[in-house]
Amino acid sequence: MSLAAYRTALLTLLSHYRRHPGQLVMLLVGLWVASALWSGVQAINASARDSYARAEALFSQQLDRIERRDGQPLRYEDFLTLRRDGAPVSPMVEGEVELADGTRLPVLGIDPLTLPEGGGLGAAQASETLLRFLRPPYRTRVAPETLATLSAEPGATPTLASGGTMPPLATDRTLPPELAVMDIAAAVVLLEASGPSHLVIAPEATLSLPDEWIRHSADNLTAPGQLTDSFHLNLTAMGLLALVVGLFIVHAALSLTLEQRLGLMRTLRALGLPGRPLVALLATELLILGLVGAMAGIASGVWLAQWLLPDVAASLQALYGERLGDELSLPWYYWAGGLTVTLGGLLTAGASSLWHAARLDILAMGRSQAWHGRFQRQLTGMAVAGGLLWLLAIGLGGWLHQLPPRAGLTLGFTMIAAALLGSALWLPPLLASLLAVLARTLRHRPLAQWAFADVNLQLPRLSVAMMALLIALSANLGVSSMVDGFRLTFLDWLDQRLVADLYLRPPADRYEAVADWLRERDGIDALLPTRDSETRLIDTPMQSTAQPVGLYGVTPHPRLRERWPLLDAISNDPWPAFQQGAVMINEQLALSSALSPGETLTLRTPQGPRAFQVAAVYADYGNPRGEVMLTTERLIERFQAPPGSIGLVLPPGRATDISALRDELSQHFGISRDSLIDQATLKQQSRTIFERTFAITRALNGLTLGVAGIALLTSLLAQAPQRRRQLAPLWAQGVSRRRLTGIGLCQLGGTALITACLAVPLGLALAWSLVAKINVAAFGWRLPLHVFPEHIATTLVLAVAVTLLAALLPAWRLWRLPPGHLLREFDAS
Amino acid sequence: MLELCDVSKSYATPQGPLSVLAGISLRLPAGDSLALMGESGCGKSTLLHLAAGLDVPDSGRVILAGQALDTLSESRRSALRRHRLGLVFQAFHLVPSLSVSDNLRLQARLADREDSAWTDELLGRLGLIGMRDRYPEQLSGGQQQRLAIGRALAVRPDLLLADEPTGNLDERSADEVLTLLLALVADSGCALLMVTHSPRVAAPLNHCLRLSHGQLMEATP
Ligand SMILES: Nc1ncnc2c1ncn2[C@@H]1O[C@H](COP(=O)(O)OP(=O)(O)OP(=O)(O)O)[C@@H](O)[C@H]1O
Ligand SMILES: [Mg+2]
Repeated sequence: MSLAAYRTALLTLLSHYRRHPGQLVMLLVGLWVASALWSGVQAINASARDSYARAEALFSQQLDRIERRDGQPLRYEDFLTLRRDGAPVSPMVEGEVELADGTRLPVLGIDPLTLPEGGGLGAAQASETLLRFLRPPYRTRVAPETLATLSAEPGATPTLASGGTMPPLATDRTLPPELAVMDIAAAVVLLEASGPSHLVIAPEATLSLPDEWIRHSADNLTAPGQLTDSFHLNLTAMGLLALVVGLFIVHAALSLTLEQRLGLMRTLRALGLPGRPLVALLATELLILGLVGAMAGIASGVWLAQWLLPDVAASLQALYGERLGDELSLPWYYWAGGLTVTLGGLLTAGASSLWHAARLDILAMGRSQAWHGRFQRQLTGMAVAGGLLWLLAIGLGGWLHQLPPRAGLTLGFTMIAAALLGSALWLPPLLASLLAVLARTLRHRPLAQWAFADVNLQLPRLSVAMMALLIALSANLGVSSMVDGFRLTFLDWLDQRLVADLYLRPPADRYEAVADWLRERDGIDALLPTRDSETRLIDTPMQSTAQPVGLYGVTPHPRLRERWPLLDAISNDPWPAFQQGAVMINEQLALSSALSPGETLTLRTPQGPRAFQVAAVYADYGNPRGEVMLTTERLIERFQAPPGSIGLVLPPGRATDISALRDELSQHFGISRDSLIDQATLKQQSRTIFERTFAITRALNGLTLGVAGIALLTSLLAQAPQRRRQLAPLWAQGVSRRRLTGIGLCQLGGTALITACLAVPLGLALAWSLVAKINVAAFGWRLPLHVFPEHIATTLVLAVAVTLLAALLPAWRLWRLPPGHLLREFDAS
Repeated sequence: MLELCDVSKSYATPQGPLSVLAGISLRLPAGDSLALMGESGCGKSTLLHLAAGLDVPDSGRVILAGQALDTLSESRRSALRRHRLGLVFQAFHLVPSLSVSDNLRLQARLADREDSAWTDELLGRLGLIGMRDRYPEQLSGGQQQRLAIGRALAVRPDLLLADEPTGNLDERSADEVLTLLLALVADSGCALLMVTHSPRVAAPLNHCLRLSHGQLMEATP
């Protein structure tokens, strides 16, 4: 056959959409939404991963960090002393500058000449560039995104709020966004620092440090990628959910258009188009539609990502201190991946229909029972597949149960996916048998019996949209129960944790002076100094397996003791033991090292390993690490922890003039007014972070529900012509159009309600898996399961509302149809 | 042109196999014409489908244009149908989404044998010239019937297989369509195998066979 002949055949196949544009719209919409949400999420992930990779390439390259134990700034002499002793250390200074327009930009000063080999910056520079970097007027190296945020050209010298200027800007693609890197000599001047803030050293370099120094090993400063993995996995799971729901639409649309074109295909075959080219042409059609849908989807996905990115960036910074640029940076594989996933999904959704079309013999194509008989067989297949998926989910659940905390996140999501998909597959057989039973019991009421039998007839089309609805509804219920439950727990916990009224973090060099002054000052009841540090938990004699843990020092003031969120303790009052030298550990650590109150743990201290008794376990939401809590005194004594922040307890019932306190602090010690934060502000900030973190989750969830609504609408629109043909005989026999419209809405509303009734237990099961399994796997702590009756009611209402909304347009069109049209449909049938 | 040798065909039904054709043989030389008559449900359409290679016999052999269909691959069989066969179905099987003129040209285009002068002439002689841009659903039954005939002839086939091409028409229109069909067939010199109920329709053809209980017998219209 010639190309022209193939073209004729393809155009003939496509001409179907001229008569049924609704089906084309449904197909494209399915592809579009599926790939839009998926690629939106992937755009965020790819962008974030790119910044992490650059951040990792920059700092760590797994470099150890050396600081003074007391937190005082280093002096240049310290560096020289160490260098004289032959230690291959390199100085760094970190700080932030404020630009003339008020934006703050973190600055990192390095010495490229002494940076350990392979330290990212030092080695890769061409000598010319290196010289410019090292010599006045120096260079400020920034990522291209940062240049864009500053809206400056390379070579520009941004003005600072203090009046000075930065060295000329130069772009460096390897740098993470929102960071300026320059030579340490320039940075020290710019930051008005007295010397380096810390030193770095290659991890393999051995070095004996004097007591006042502490070396933080590189793997203790956990790589950002690891911490944020769970965050991104979460996003990916949401994107996958939308993808699956979208592909449901695609599948429904595809089998509809193929089924309706069986006659056309039979004619083409009878006129001499061989079977294999026919399937190839159908595949070509799919490819064309897939490309159009995927491109539209990816374009809107990028737009969606741009819209969500500020929220994502804010929560990542708040949760993990990771900075993301405001600009998306998308590598080539992002585009390729988006296309592949969409086309692959399309192929998966279309494969069974194509396969079936390929195997039908010519004459059978004309008989639609051959196609319909398939649905009956499919129902059995669905029930079996659903059962298998549930078995898989249960098996995975059992496996997950065996795993230690902070592991098996992918496993957990797979389990949830299997359970959701399994339940969705059970929906059509369930609906079919329910409807059959109802139709049988209502035999004496012909119209009702017809209505039920009729829904059963619509089921092949409708069930896919209902499956999408089921998944979207239960995901919505599960996630909102989790988020709202978390909010309750989190707010309680915040109240418990924020015991002091005011918080102040004085600079290390003025710490003691400020503390003494505050102790003397009138109007302050008590000072609650806290400090933090880090060490390793030694659970085996082998040091290499020692687990890094955070150390937190608190002052066990009665105010704190009353409120501290204890989960488990050796006795009713573990605080005396705590004061005597026992420690408390956070839930993450308790779960991950299987420690419970009464047991002992061994920590590495500057004086060698030391055992501590565990007095209690406390809740510590939002902290990615295991943590050991001691009294501040003991933390200083055993670990020489640097000064941290001070909590100020104000006398109850007496209004203290906070503004005056701020003024005094700034006058006496030069501490900026905003370093003194009150509890309400802190709570507000935490709450904002919380809401932002879940803003994306909620947005994606809402969008998924929208997608399910679109699935319903398009599938109803696409099958509207046949519906009319089925309704026409009833109308001809004297059932009014109003009645028919009403019956149609009841049929759909009822089906949606049954679906929602299934979605409720499924959603609650999902919520439970999220709080009890996924959370433990992702963060190491567990949340109590809260059931919100109002969420359940919302789910039921939402299901019916979404369905009726989707049914409205087709119903309205039927309602408005001139009777003559119905007559024509009658003739055509 | 067409030869059926000892062809049998039965269908599987819930009540067991239903034998429709039991060892049938027939020969239709090039340019000849043959009417096939018989009761409703006796297997006329089945025989036509076997002759066109749309279905395969349980036993026996179908030889079309000198080639045994069972020895041909599926794509060779399709090519044979595309290039040498014209089919008029009992239920027309027009493509609802193509215009009248595109429907008429469909097979010719698939066979790379589009001949505008010929298709225009066909449109004219079939009385469809004024409705070339309409769609099949906007045609009357007789017009659809004529379009189906036109589509089969547009490819200038060597053999035309027509399944009750006048079955849906009243007597007068049936006569019109039939006269037209026979004239067109005579002009193009192709062989014709036509299924019909009506002795009146069968009369102008060279031969007439009757199918009954799976067997063929000579008949006079
Ligand atoms: N796919 C099938 N499966 C089972 N039985 C079939 C099938 N197709 C046809 N039959 C049966 O085979 C017999 C012959 O059918 P066929 O369509 O060939 O009859 P026909 O002679 O063309 O009838 P008519 O004049 O009404 O068009 C009929 O009894 C029919 O019920
Ligand atoms: Mg027949």
